[in-house]
Amino acid sequence: MYTDNTDEALIVRLKRNDPVALETLFNRHYKPLCNYCALFTKDFAAAEEIVADLFIKIWDNRHNSDVLNVKSYLFLSVRNLSLNFIQKKKSPVDSIEDLTLTQQALQDTNTPFSVLSGRESDQRILRMIDRLPARQREVLLMSRIDAIDKHTIAQVLGISVRTVETTLYLAIQQLRNQLKIS
Amino acid sequence: MEDRNTRLIVAYFDKTIDDDGLAELQEWLESNRNNQEIFSETIEILSASKTYFKQPVNQAANWARIHAHVVAEGTIATGADDAELIRDRHRPAGFYLKRWLAAAAIVLVTSTAALIGYPYFSVPQAHPVTYAQFSNPDGTHSKIILPDSSIIHLGAGSKIRYEKNFTAAKRQVQLDGEAFFEVTHHADRPFIVKSGKIATVVLGTSFNVKAFAARHQVAVTVKSGKVGVMANLNGKSKLLSFLLPNQQLEFNSVTGKFTSRTANAAAVSGWMDNNFVYYNTSLKDMAESLERQYAVNIRFADPQLAKIKLTAKFNNLPLSEVAENLSQLTGLSFTRQGKEITVAAYQKNRRKNMR
Repeated sequence: MYTDNTDEALIVRLKRNDPVALETLFNRHYKPLCNYCALFTKDFAAAEEIVADLFIKIWDNRHNSDVLNVKSYLFLSVRNLSLNFIQKKKSPVDSIEDLTLTQQALQDTNTPFSVLSGRESDQRILRMIDRLPARQREVLLMSRIDAIDKHTIAQVLGISVRTVETTLYLAIQQLRNQLKIS
Repeated sequence: MEDRNTRLIVAYFDKTIDDDGLAELQEWLESNRNNQEIFSETIEILSASKTYFKQPVNQAANWARIHAHVVAEGTIATGADDAELIRDRHRPAGFYLKRWLAAAAIVLVTSTAALIGYPYFSVPQAHPVTYAQFSNPDGTHSKIILPDSSIIHLGAGSKIRYEKNFTAAKRQVQLDGEAFFEVTHHADRPFIVKSGKIATVVLGTSFNVKAFAARHQVAVTVKSGKVGVMANLNGKSKLLSFLLPNQQLEFNSVTGKFTSRTANAAAVSGWMDNNFVYYNTSLKDMAESLERQYAVNIRFADPQLAKIKLTAKFNNLPLSEVAENLSQLTGLSFTRQGKEITVAAYQKNRRKNMR
């Protein structure tokens, strides 16, 4: 495993058909990518699958594409794939197999993730977060993923670092106001 | 102001705060009791939002799936191969093809056994062969029916050539330009379209080939059936890909690079009915295509203008309307004099209005 290689160096190895480079990239980014993906899918198993599919695609296209900033590319790809995923799920006809018991159970609680969180106040805040405007919610939660800094957020969302900071501020401000009322 | 304090609290929470920031934060906290409340609320929100995330549970299984895919492709570089890899870096397409050809060959055997064994790029034959040839001037389409009753719709500014003894075991045509093929099915006699280094091999399908020799670019788009695309690289013919309906393969004969994607075959072959669709196409490429279809010359007053990209669709329009549409889309003027069209920016004062 080339743990001390940069992402960009790993891509060079990847282009030389080195699967260990793919494995290094996978292990390095898998968890934050899954977490980011789950923001949209709200289904962690689906998120893990989407991310794994992305790495298969990266392998298949290793000779066809050039990537300047690997990290932004990964998160942006996952974002697009996730949005496609929920778009498809919203199709007017729902197959009956899609409505599994677990999904029904999760629909009752507003946020599937709140089920897993221990503290009651945390759960309350998580429910509020899910009612934030989409952009504010995304920036706030994205900024909570360890591997992502605000420069990456800015690149992935195509906005300035300043806008990232302002959006984060607005999200926190709104949540604080809501905490006071409730 | 408050914005800045929030940023400091976030940096504090993320442990990315510097000494100056920490001092500033402390000062702000001590200045007002209310600020301490804001601080603890913000920290509560931040730590609560962290609980949104989970540990992945399928990481190992998912890696196993990816790894299986990589191995199946059979292109793993072992240590011994490394030197060879570096040496061969300069001719990527040919080299990597060799490596996954093994995998592709299996597909070839199972799906179209009849195709194997044909010398798609045969060496020049000793005895002379006679050819039938058709060519279209710019601005004209034509329909050719081959002896095996396959149909070729030949595009403007394109030409096609085939051996007179076409009915023999192998049905082979050579194309320079664009054509749409409707091939009658003969399982034992593959139909081969050769265009430069690319050979498109089919048994019975319909597909579009765009291969103007001067452009060094070949695009094969399938409308129905299944098509195999072979490339002649360094004297050897290799299978590039099998294409299914609405798949397109583009091959650059200079760099040897090829990409496949999905494409709307109906739109690609729309030229037969004078329907032209351009997706995010530069004016330069568009002009080249329009020159062929309408038999005119298009000249750019400023070469920079040719770089403008746009998406447009012209369904069987006269040239005057095409020019008018383009003029409205780009804000440029299209002036026609006989067979010459000049594309130019409007006068300065008018151009201001356009923007």
